[in-house]
Amino acid sequence: MYRGREGQWAFLLHRLSGLAILAYLLLHVFSIGSFIFGERFYMAIHHTYDLWFFRLGLVVITAGVVYHAFNGLRIIVMDFTGAGVAYQRQMWYGVMALSVLSALYAAYRLYPRLIGGY
Amino acid sequence: MTQAQITPSTPATVAAMMTLKVKVLRFDPEKDKKAHWVTYEVEASAADRVLDVINHVKWYMDPSLTFRRSCAHGICGSDAMLINGRNRLACKTLLRDVVKKSGDTITVEPIRGLKVEKDLLVDMEPFFDSYKAIMPYFINESPEPAAERIQSPELAERMAHSSNCILCACCTTSCPIFWVNGSYLGPASIVQAHRFIFDSRDEATQQRLNIMNQNTGVWRCRTAYNCTEACPRDIPITQLIEEVKRAVMYQQA
Ligand code: SF4
Ligand code: SF4
Ligand code: FES
Repeated sequence: MYRGREGQWAFLLHRLSGLAILAYLLLHVFSIGSFIFGERFYMAIHHTYDLWFFRLGLVVITAGVVYHAFNGLRIIVMDFTGAGVAYQRQMWYGVMALSVLSALYAAYRLYPRLIGGY
Repeated sequence: MTQAQITPSTPATVAAMMTLKVKVLRFDPEKDKKAHWVTYEVEASAADRVLDVINHVKWYMDPSLTFRRSCAHGICGSDAMLINGRNRLACKTLLRDVVKKSGDTITVEPIRGLKVEKDLLVDMEPFFDSYKAIMPYFINESPEPAAERIQSPELAERMAHSSNCILCACCTTSCPIFWVNGSYLGPASIVQAHRFIFDSRDEATQQRLNIMNQNTGVWRCRTAYNCTEACPRDIPITQLIEEVKRAVMYQQA
């Protein structure tokens, strides 16, 4: 593993969160669309979302969306201003803080569901 | 007036000797299928450089160890290596900056993304091909003035950073994009292009911006900053790349 600093991890997380969002979106479209095969099929799919993996995934995807959105703004600031490059590290810590906070908030709001399912 | 007291101080350079484990990623194309680690125990002082240590290995322990170096003073750009997980010049890296105490290990690997010829020696041809691609020479077809071509200090300042590059490849071979896409010209070539694009006396700006705008150019850069952290000349590489990106964009507008 190359021992890069903040920028390298910012870049890697941006890619990973992008992929996670894409996967979530495809899953979302597919599971909503599955209704065309009838209610039984639709419900069968939605029951699998009760698995712990999907419950936890809700918190992770929240963090991923917030990270991707705000890091995207960070990249825009870097691309358009010299100061953006100078303060990229501080901005990244800001982005990370926002992502963690939003994940915590999501966990708090979803707590009953995280613990007990539907 | 009180006179400053002269205290016998210990010179800062006095450094204790220590025994280090030097782990080198070795590869001999005639014998090996895969690269493998070999560890050497070397006695060294904290004020020595990594280059001194691997010279010691080559001169006294294993003459077959292969690597490039020339000036040993951080100016020729020959000895870029992946030392303790980061790209650095072996001749510009003090042991005290990479190890803490006797018994510690330092790892030395060839730089990534270029083909390893033997041990720490990589094929630099693709790197220099990318360098040549940006037309790294002064172009000005206007008639020469009687004396020199004048440039104000302010305009000279714009290319002050990029003209410091020694083409060591520390940056390009630290770039995650370059590792997976060897056709990306890479930060070193962009720094070199910047040196001419922002030279007020050069007239091929347009051509170079067009090269930078191709799909092997600046848009491959995803601002991971590894290059900036790695540059032994402290060139703010990512900042320069962003300047070139903006120059390309505003020229298009
Ligand atoms: S920009 Fe810096 S790291 Fe890159 S080749 Fe030039 S001197 Fe080396
Ligand atoms: S800032 Fe750009 S060129 Fe430098 S390491 Fe990152 S992606 Fe590569
Ligand atoms: S040997 Fe010349 S830069 Fe290190």
